Amino acid sequence: MEASITLKKVGKLIGDKTILASLTFGIERGSLVAIIGDNEAGKSMLLKVISGVENQEFGNVYINGLDLRKRRLSVISSIGFVPHEIDLDPWLTLEQNVRFMGLMYGVDIETLNTRMIQLARDFHIIPHLKRMVQDISPGIIKKGMILRALIHDPDILIMDEPTAFMDAESYRQTWDFLLRLKGKKTMLYVSQTLSEVEEAHDRILVLEDGKITLDGSLDKLLGSTFDYHQFQIEFEELSDDLFEKLSNVPKVKNPSRIGNSIHFYGRERNVFFAVLNAAASSVMKDISVNKLGLQDLMDAKFARDGIH
Amino acid sequence: MMTFSFMVILPLLLHISITMVMKNILVRSLDQIPYELWIFPGIILIIASMSTFSMIYRDLFDLRIHKKSFLPMTLAPYSKTQLILGFLITSIVETTVYVIVAMAVLTVFLPTPFHISTYFIILIFTFFYTFIIGNIIITFSVVTDRISIYLSILLTMFLIILFGTGILVEFEFYPKTIGIILSNFPLSMFLSSLRELIFFNRIDWLQIFIPIMVAIGWTWVNGYLLKRKLKQ
Repeated sequence: MEASITLKKVGKLIGDKTILASLTFGIERGSLVAIIGDNEAGKSMLLKVISGVENQEFGNVYINGLDLRKRRLSVISSIGFVPHEIDLDPWLTLEQNVRFMGLMYGVDIETLNTRMIQLARDFHIIPHLKRMVQDISPGIIKKGMILRALIHDPDILIMDEPTAFMDAESYRQTWDFLLRLKGKKTMLYVSQTLSEVEEAHDRILVLEDGKITLDGSLDKLLGSTFDYHQFQIEFEELSDDLFEKLSNVPKVKNPSRIGNSIHFYGRERNVFFAVLNAAASSVMKDISVNKLGLQDLMDAKFARDGIH
Repeated sequence: MMTFSFMVILPLLLHISITMVMKNILVRSLDQIPYELWIFPGIILIIASMSTFSMIYRDLFDLRIHKKSFLPMTLAPYSKTQLILGFLITSIVETTVYVIVAMAVLTVFLPTPFHISTYFIILIFTFFYTFIIGNIIITFSVVTDRISIYLSILLTMFLIILFGTGILVEFEFYPKTIGIILSNFPLSMFLSSLRELIFFNRIDWLQIFIPIMVAIGWTWVNGYLLKRKLKQ
């Protein structure tokens, strides 16, 4: 498929610190791509560089085949950007904020009105359009920001934490709408909510210290961990000796404790029985066994070293 | 309503605090123009300056430092110089409204009203004056990141405009060297050209064109500064 966004050896520095380190990858037209990673990994900066908010120091960003830096005025209209922080003008109504940006992009009044009403309906924010932004809750404002980013009908939608501040209902409404755009618009977003990424994605990029450490679909990323399970046993009292004893059971991987619970990974289910046997003399309160998810993958140990 | 009240009250306050006091000290200018008439264009330009201060603060500095709609604006398909021109044109349009109201209010206090053409000339000069002073304020709005420093700069600028551009008294009253330096300040050149035209029907094109050319160049420099500041 044709690439909508292409990065070639993109590097970004702030002072002496490398924020993005020679990133090279492409994003296919119409795909939905999530970027995840620890704090300070460079996720937001990557979005800023791709959307033209900040120039990179090295390399090139191509939008629909055109160099963003050299052909900025030609390609910038293809991009809609939703920053993480709320940046609507509080002294204007939601509608005025959206209308202003639509006019900035040269959208004619009739199209602007039709599109704004349609999008507001999709986001369920029609009743809030005439309200001053300073009087609206942050979750609704965030929806308004996505609406604003879409008002000039860009090919590419770049979002930093698109569902930040939203309640469960707004979250569902927003993703319901965004998933309907899949295939029509290229969407790239950053999220710290890993369950959100697990639900909606084509591809996931894991960023660490400005480098992409993992890249692929959720199944691909979790592929090497399919045999693994995550176990958790809560004891009435988990002593240091007992924790030490259970940690040393063969094939118990990455044991850790929180209060009276031990948490570990194991490839085979009989690991679990071996632990149960070792702890037979202690009183257990609760037991859980789960398949591994993105959260486990993002566990620092896994991301860096894999399960060992 | 609040804005309109301010539009009316501001020229009244300036008339009471400047014209009514100063006309008792300087009854006539050195060219024998009654002080109330002589200071009229100056008062209008003070109002234009104050209006421009607030417009640029509202449209650029406040939006930029408080991250309100400014970033999306910079992502719209316009060059930074075009954006700067946008801020300037907005402030010129709003300042023109302020100035029209101010001229209407202050005319009531004049011993003899000016000819209608004079008001048009003042409006045209205000247009270019706002273009120059708007550029100066935009520069500070782009390079300054703290409100306290920005306000100090604006206050200093206001004092310079009030006492350093020949608005209140002629440069002949200043020490000779300082008078020469201050009279070559673009804003002073513009004001003295305006007075020459209104009171003596003389046009010094050079004194008009130099400030305008400086302002055009300054607009481009502001576009460059904004681009650098945003790292875009």
